[in-house]
Amino acid sequence: MKLDIAEPLRWLGVRGEPDGALLAEITGLADRLTRTITPRWVWRMFHVKRTFDGEELEGAGLALTGETARKMLADCDWAILLACTLGAGFEAMLRAEQARSMARAALLDACGSAWAEAGCDGAEREIAARFPGLFLTDRFSPGYGDLPLELQRGICAALDAGRRLGVQVTDSLMMNPAKSVTAVIGLSDRPQPARIRGCGFCKLRESCQYRKEGKTCGA
Amino acid sequence: MERDFLRDGIVILDGAMGTVLQQKGLPPGGKPELLNLTRPELLREVHRAYIDAGSRVIYANTFGASAPKLAGTGYTVDEVVSAAVAVAKEAAAGTGVRVALDMGPLGELLEPLGTLPFERAYDYFKEAAVAGERAGADLAVIETMTDLYEAKAALLAVKENTALPALVTMSFEQNGRTFTGCTIASMARTLEGLGADAVGLNCSLGPDLLLPLVKELRANTRLPVIAKPNAGLPDPATGAYGMGPEEFVRAMFPLVEAGASIVGGCCGTSPEYIRALAKALEGRAPAPGTYRGGGFVCSAMAPCFLDGVRVIGERVNPTGKKRFQQALLENDLDYILDVAVQQEDAGADILDVNVGFPGVDEASMLPRVVKKLQSAVALPLQLDSSNPDALEAGLRVYNGKAAVNSVNGEGAVLDRVLPIVKKYGASVVGLCLDEGGIPPTAEGRVAIARRILDAALEHGIPAEDVWIDCLTLTVSAQQEQAGETLKAVRTVREELGLQVVLGVSNISFGLPSRGIVTQNFLIQAMGAGLTLPILNPNQREMMDAVAAFKVLSGEDGGCRGYIARFANAAPADRPAPGPSASLTLEEAVIRGLEGDAGRLAKEALQTQDELSLVEQRLIPALDRVGADYEAGRAFLPQLLSAAQAAQAVFGVIKTSIAEKGGAPVKKGKFAIATVKGDIHDIGKNIVRTVMENYGYEAVDLGRDVPPETIVDAVREQGIKLVGLSALMTTTLPAMEETTRRLKALPDPPVVWVGGAVVTPEYAEKMGADYYARDARQSVEIARKVFGA
Repeated sequence: MKLDIAEPLRWLGVRGEPDGALLAEITGLADRLTRTITPRWVWRMFHVKRTFDGEELEGAGLALTGETARKMLADCDWAILLACTLGAGFEAMLRAEQARSMARAALLDACGSAWAEAGCDGAEREIAARFPGLFLTDRFSPGYGDLPLELQRGICAALDAGRRLGVQVTDSLMMNPAKSVTAVIGLSDRPQPARIRGCGFCKLRESCQYRKEGKTCGA
Repeated sequence: MERDFLRDGIVILDGAMGTVLQQKGLPPGGKPELLNLTRPELLREVHRAYIDAGSRVIYANTFGASAPKLAGTGYTVDEVVSAAVAVAKEAAAGTGVRVALDMGPLGELLEPLGTLPFERAYDYFKEAAVAGERAGADLAVIETMTDLYEAKAALLAVKENTALPALVTMSFEQNGRTFTGCTIASMARTLEGLGADAVGLNCSLGPDLLLPLVKELRANTRLPVIAKPNAGLPDPATGAYGMGPEEFVRAMFPLVEAGASIVGGCCGTSPEYIRALAKALEGRAPAPGTYRGGGFVCSAMAPCFLDGVRVIGERVNPTGKKRFQQALLENDLDYILDVAVQQEDAGADILDVNVGFPGVDEASMLPRVVKKLQSAVALPLQLDSSNPDALEAGLRVYNGKAAVNSVNGEGAVLDRVLPIVKKYGASVVGLCLDEGGIPPTAEGRVAIARRILDAALEHGIPAEDVWIDCLTLTVSAQQEQAGETLKAVRTVREELGLQVVLGVSNISFGLPSRGIVTQNFLIQAMGAGLTLPILNPNQREMMDAVAAFKVLSGEDGGCRGYIARFANAAPADRPAPGPSASLTLEEAVIRGLEGDAGRLAKEALQTQDELSLVEQRLIPALDRVGADYEAGRAFLPQLLSAAQAAQAVFGVIKTSIAEKGGAPVKKGKFAIATVKGDIHDIGKNIVRTVMENYGYEAVDLGRDVPPETIVDAVREQGIKLVGLSALMTTTLPAMEETTRRLKALPDPPVVWVGGAVVTPEYAEKMGADYYARDARQSVEIARKVFGA
């Protein structure tokens, strides 16, 4: 797994080439982060049953309601629920950094977001390797499109993420530790088109500065 | 209550409850604790099956029977616990099998990771423990903990409110840490100190992967060791656990050989597994212990074995430090944290914490400072106070095994403080003095050390937790005493075999070039047997001496620590390359050069007063960075670096004012908080940092703050400007309510809002005065409100 520092820089609004001091700082932090914190994840496969309420995941005790889930899982009989976290270790590291330098803490925070995404990518590779004949849909998460944020809780319960990852969902549907992600991935016997990733699916495509400059943000 | 059964032989526990219930057709998830009331016959069946299989202790179905987890079910903790224990007792009737009250995590994270205060966690566990004992449980089992702090809350609740024996098991990952970073040594020694009857590991891994962890645990405790692993790891595709009963038992054998003597199964196991385990272990005796003694303190994340020289940092102490005194009087815990952080970065191993000062209520201040420090500093703490109430309050909220500084040879002091030390499993520093003062001879001091040791042993405190301070006297006043101190150090170390403490700095008081004398004394004392010097780790020459000593004593194997320390050091005879002489304060701030900014501010104060330095130089420099930021030429990291450099300037200014006793530079006071339900606060902290470095005084109310707390703070402190942050659509209503209540005050403050989901339109709709996109805009709002 590798942390691409272009991502945190983008999240921090840094455009163009970062100056040398900033680059050295963020590279050092990314290095320390990836050496000390390993993203951890759990996933499980569930059978998809189409019902009036949405795409029910059998045995998970939850249904994925709405248009997003319907489209994403249109070709899928199976779906993976995934939770990934940097854990409390990252939170402690971030608190310690905030006590030292808020500037470095902001960089570390952005690196943490990228590292959690890298963890999800790692999990996805593991899943793909586990099901060689099958095709994965794009990964999508509660809060994306019309997939309800409330599902955060159901996904964590189905994965027993509290006990197995130390991840809690608060009453206000926040994940704690903060650098935690829940996601759904469909499994299909047919190749799956990109439905989420890339400029064609982005809400910001008309106003995006990267696109105007002929570049992409990479997401 | 009877406890001997835990040590008499191998004790067989039960296996999983949830797994068996699912095998019986119950869906996963939900609240299995409610079955105690709705399907008692089903549970009785499971308990009986385990008893038939050979379990000698069964866990009542109370894992989630705590107020937070039962919220919304309509049942009380007492109802669920009583029913669960009753069912288990029925199943065990006439068999001699013991029934344990099972206490799992509360499902809410404790501070600082979450927002649940330690004290509230304690109350929740107390409720369950009291109900369990009343219902007739024979023991309490605290299990599947990943946060040592939560385990401590539960253990204290059992010990203080019941007579039940208490077993504690935590869940570790293969890397030897829990999810929260707790190490095995920290867990074992902290919980043993707090009076657990047995400690161990449960859940998370199969017995095969648990073996190295059990070995480590065995070496870190004198208590019986528990192992209750899963049946291997679950298959993600199916959720099924990998090990069958035979394979499980085969992998359990090495754990028993390594010293586990209380054994059972967790997720994925069933009565079959326990039957096979009980049969295989029949007639077997527990393996002997392998305890590694010698002294130890820790935080949850940082164990500190006392097997060499360990430096105790002395700077968290108001004595002779005006700026620190001011911070105490103003409740400025961030300053105190900063002092601690510097010592951690300078290489201290343990931090002494003293907050005693006239006008400060130590018994309430010490626990607050302990909580603040342990939120961001990993080092173990030594609580330094002569006030027993303060010591108890501090030890209570400490997450780990602390040290107490100090007792002395006076009977009254020993009788008052040692029971507290024992109760919380701390180490204790004993000063070699008594009613008669400080004995002038080494023999006199050693005699007091012996008395302190005897008293500690009588109170049940082991010798390895007794540290003796042989007392440093000022050499310029009592020159012959340096030799006596060194002699006492040697005797205490060699004859009594105890850890030896000395506050070394005192030796050179009143002399010129104090560092030379202090360093020399430190080196001689370490040579004589000093293991725990108390010193200022920011003084390089002291830490250099310790590093060199560790090389010569052989403690620094391969000289690795020494080489790492000096590999990149510039040769001493050449001055380090400094910044160009032309660097101005403004440039230092703009470029975020903290050290230079502080130095140049000190120079500037020779010719300029504090206020004009802020107004004419600091703020214009910050404004230039701010303007670049708005224009997209500088980015958040640069804005924050400049703020950081400005903070260094403010540090210099505050110190200068504190020394003169003048009024601090204050341009206006604002309150800031993330609203109720919102637990992530780095954005709010960024805004606060930038605003503070424009000279505004922050009242940081924290995160997840209820509207009434904000309203009260505004009313009580007459605050004119309030900033609120919300990150989620789910917490916008709380922001709205807070704004509404603030605006309903007779003299309403200006309210500005921000955060990921907030827009200018929302801000207007909810009645806020301003919306701020970022820290920079927040500063502009403060300028409008305060007119400066």
